[in-house]
Amino acid sequence: MNALIAVPLQSTTTTSQPFANVEIPTLLLSGIVWVPTIVALALLLFPDRTDAHRARLRSVALTAVGLVAALGVLMWYGFRDQGATFAYEEKRNWMQALGTSYHLGVDGVSMPVLLLSTILFLTAVLASYRVRDRVKEYFFFLLLLETGVNGVLSSLDYLLFFLFWGMQLVPAFFLIGTWGGGPRRLQVAWKYLAFGLVSSGLLLLAILVTAARAPSHTFDIPTLHDAHLPVAVATLAFFLFLGAFALQLPVFPLHTGFVDAQSEAPAPVAAVLAGVVTKLGAYGLIRVNLGEFQDVLHKFRVPLLALALLTIIWPAVAALRQDDLRRLIGYVVVSRLGFLVLATVSAQPVAVNGGVVLMVADGLSAGALIYLAASLIERTNTRSVRAMGGLASRMPRGAVLWIFAALASIGLPGLAGFVGQFLVFLGAYSADRKATTIALLGVLLTAGVLVWTIQRLFFGPLPESLGSVRDLGSLELSYTITLVSLIFLIGIVPGFMLLDNVNFGVLTLLTRGTG
Amino acid sequence: MPLTALLAAAAKGPLDTWSPTFFSGWTLFLPLIALLLIVTFTIDSRRASAWISVFFALVAFAGAVVLLAIELRHPAYREHTLTFLQFFTGQSGVASEFTLQWGFLADPLAAAMLLMVTGVSLFTQVYALGYLRREDGVVRFYLSASFMTFSMSGVVLSTSYGELYFFWALTSVATFVLVGHWWQRDAAARAARKVLLVTQVGDIGLLAGIIYIFFRFHDLGFQALRSQYAGGKVGQNGLLIMSLLVFAGVVGKAAQLPLHTWAPDSAEAPAPAAALIHGAAMAATGVYLLARTYPLFIASPRALTVVAVVGGVTAVAAALWALAEDNLKRLIAYATISEIGLAVLAFGAGAFSASVFQAFTHGWSKALLFLGAGIIVRELRTESIAEMGGLWRRMRTTGVLMLIGAAAAAGIPPLSGFVSKDAILSQLLSQPNAAVTAVVMVVTFLSGLYMFRMFFSVFAGPTVRRRRFEPERIRDPGGRIRTGMVALAVFAAAVGLFDLVRAGPEFVRFVTFPGQKSDHAASLIGSVLTSLAALLGLAVAFLVYGLRALPASRISGRVPFVPPALSRAFYLGDAYRWGTENAVLRAGQVADWVDRVVIDGAVDRVGGGVAGMTGPFRWAPSPRIPQLALGAFAGLLLLGILAGAVLGHLKL
Repeated sequence: MNALIAVPLQSTTTTSQPFANVEIPTLLLSGIVWVPTIVALALLLFPDRTDAHRARLRSVALTAVGLVAALGVLMWYGFRDQGATFAYEEKRNWMQALGTSYHLGVDGVSMPVLLLSTILFLTAVLASYRVRDRVKEYFFFLLLLETGVNGVLSSLDYLLFFLFWGMQLVPAFFLIGTWGGGPRRLQVAWKYLAFGLVSSGLLLLAILVTAARAPSHTFDIPTLHDAHLPVAVATLAFFLFLGAFALQLPVFPLHTGFVDAQSEAPAPVAAVLAGVVTKLGAYGLIRVNLGEFQDVLHKFRVPLLALALLTIIWPAVAALRQDDLRRLIGYVVVSRLGFLVLATVSAQPVAVNGGVVLMVADGLSAGALIYLAASLIERTNTRSVRAMGGLASRMPRGAVLWIFAALASIGLPGLAGFVGQFLVFLGAYSADRKATTIALLGVLLTAGVLVWTIQRLFFGPLPESLGSVRDLGSLELSYTITLVSLIFLIGIVPGFMLLDNVNFGVLTLLTRGTG
Repeated sequence: MPLTALLAAAAKGPLDTWSPTFFSGWTLFLPLIALLLIVTFTIDSRRASAWISVFFALVAFAGAVVLLAIELRHPAYREHTLTFLQFFTGQSGVASEFTLQWGFLADPLAAAMLLMVTGVSLFTQVYALGYLRREDGVVRFYLSASFMTFSMSGVVLSTSYGELYFFWALTSVATFVLVGHWWQRDAAARAARKVLLVTQVGDIGLLAGIIYIFFRFHDLGFQALRSQYAGGKVGQNGLLIMSLLVFAGVVGKAAQLPLHTWAPDSAEAPAPAAALIHGAAMAATGVYLLARTYPLFIASPRALTVVAVVGGVTAVAAALWALAEDNLKRLIAYATISEIGLAVLAFGAGAFSASVFQAFTHGWSKALLFLGAGIIVRELRTESIAEMGGLWRRMRTTGVLMLIGAAAAAGIPPLSGFVSKDAILSQLLSQPNAAVTAVVMVVTFLSGLYMFRMFFSVFAGPTVRRRRFEPERIRDPGGRIRTGMVALAVFAAAVGLFDLVRAGPEFVRFVTFPGQKSDHAASLIGSVLTSLAALLGLAVAFLVYGLRALPASRISGRVPFVPPALSRAFYLGDAYRWGTENAVLRAGQVADWVDRVVIDGAVDRVGGGVAGMTGPFRWAPSPRIPQLALGAFAGLLLLGILAGAVLGHLKL
């Protein structure tokens, strides 16, 4: 069990246990990152000619993500007691000449999002039962995507970070382009890839600039946190990073590609994209732009706040006119991401803590909404909100789950969104009072959109064409209930999510970044 | 012996057993337990669910009674707090630690409100046992009623702004669920949406106020903040903003102008749900929040003026609308708005105890009226009072109960409404403010008028004959429906008794602002004026609608423009709808167009330009993986070359 306890590498244990001074190298992070890839490669050897073959492929993929999720939960459990800045640190030599190394580790900012990622991928594989075409390739890319996402969240080396950044981009491109639902899927996939490639390019440039001009030529993230860069270089790097993460997030006005992808991608992929892949952008903003370039961030606070507000308000307004249910959710997701930008720009510990909780909370509720939307669309054969109505009588379980997920998205107390949102507002208010007040209006708009949608989807008389719609099946219930119960858990016992370690990670990030 | 040992052991429990806060917690959590039990075990059983809910409401009511008894003997502020969330912020001074606490308090104000909340909830649930017997969604009703009771009790027992907001927003959702009970009906679905959105406007205001309070004081506890408002830490303008933002929450939840539009629509709810919302929730959340944050408002006299003006305008306007309303349930809803407006006005004018008293007495009578209206509407299958009449002979029990409710609400002596209105007027007479006194008189007169307009229209005169409707089949309700209504009628008649005789545990001397001597000034003039105003209203209503000596149509015929404006509530709701459709939704259209055409078009143009003739956007190959892979790897290759170039340039 030693491997489960997040012993910092430099720890000097003086307990009298046998083997106490033998460091068992922890491979947990490597496991959480690479298990999906290993299984994905193994999947290629399986046949997928008959239905039985496909079922087997599904079970293998499910085993892989289940194992990863179990690892995530175990790590979360061990994470409670860790005392160093980074937990489960792994450092191995890798291309030393370049100044890079295979360095993994998680802290209070990345660990919650990593846990979210493992859970969302588990639900995504469960929700992929609708995929019947080229199942092998589908799961191959989905598992690669998980490696990319988990890798970004756990790398402590910029080159490694970049590598994983590319790795989460390409599978998403294939998943949208090949298994997407509509006639525009290819165009949308290309657009997604184009955005992603620009983002990667900016990221690479930013990394190279930072590493080249740092006093010690290294790509190590913790080392570079303490580095002092010349102001001009820092500003340049800041904006390059900002561009990369803003494209990933996406912020206004770069959100159209993301919304298209939301409407075209298969539901499990859309859920993963909205739930956790966008959070990589927010994570990058917090980790790099806030952690490393806090001075620059302060200097450009006003335009960045304006960006955050536009990202909150604009998509919420645009969502009012959406008739395609999936696009509507996409817009709401983008609007919610604006709060993360707000939390980052405010640079207040309370707000950033709230941002971390909000990342997880919105990831869960976005996932639940997208899955439920996919179930609705599958049953009603339409994406149009206007064509639906009165569905609560046909699918009461779906209605209840949808209402909870939607209320979590507007920050109802007792559900996950509230804690994060409340903390973001409380913290951000001391940084900028006007911006926070305007952001509150964004909550109102999102509430308007989602409540109106609840009414239009589920209430009122049932159209005759929807008379034979069936309620959610047990498989659909399994993953949506998982998400909704986590939403409840975080909302009622936020201490479960917001550990002292999360706060410790946030504080470390904020205090060391002032250099 | 074992019993005393058991009690001794119980006294060492997690709470101070038998302490007032123990009963607060008891009352708070019982409805939640009922909710969880129903969800877990009896979700498919209508009878079991209903009885579980009623039983737990009864035990919660008993807890509230015990709490009230304790507080009557030892009136004091006590609280039991627990930590919800806590972490260090790494800053210095008061901001070094961030803590959100929750808990439950016990003081006279909370005890009185809790009694009203649990009582109204219990009796409406008993009523619903009979009323909803042949309806769908009985389990859903009891779930939402338990949830509503839980969240209202939570508001009343909150120890801090953060916790209060928590439960506050829960009551919004509970109202949403209750109003949308008959969600298959389009009107109910729209009303439910309206409830949540309009109250959300107020909720966001309250949230902003709470954030601002936290920003200035770094604390959210009511008790800790009490002495700090006036401490000079925050200037007058700051205090004004704080109190107005908190008041925004009240305006939303208590349906004051200009956020009143949801309340009449919420009459779409089934009768017991409407009784719960209008009887208990609006008073227990709206007026209660004002009373709880009294120290804040005391520190900002300008805010008190705003409160008084909003309350006064709402009270008069809603009373006029009630006068012109033809729909029975909407009429009672307008009456609620007006009555709560009166309590808000009294609060703004500085009559703390009388204001809370008004909210307290109003709850019982208004719940009773809604329950009675539910029966009448069901029996007559119409909601229009123009189509009713002559029910006194056919529904004697309902008639008597409605009479008690109407008289209590209108302020006819010696029922509870009279006593609370008398308390307000007596208090206002002791401070020379002619305008406020006049408004209270006018509202009292109007309430007598519209209440008895309603009563006489429904119960006097001949029964209107309609097609396919047989008045002979109208039945008086019995059983549980009657039990619930009778219990409410007893409370509606009797809760003002001690104040009426000015002896025993008088409400206005019991619920006082802590640290301030009882502000109640009994005055005979006040009583006389109040009863005169109410009785005058009754008399006019009797002449016009009872005896039909002066047909109403002839009166309204003389004033050409006013009646339509009144019956459309000054067109405020229409204005909001127009604004939403033409401003907000239009903005959405513009944003959507900009997104699709301008932004996305630009992205495509740039993408197409970069990619040139073979650009992917025009190229659009069939979805075959090799080609996609080719494209992707070409991109990655490009990145590699870029990386190499930069690396070389930087001479790494």
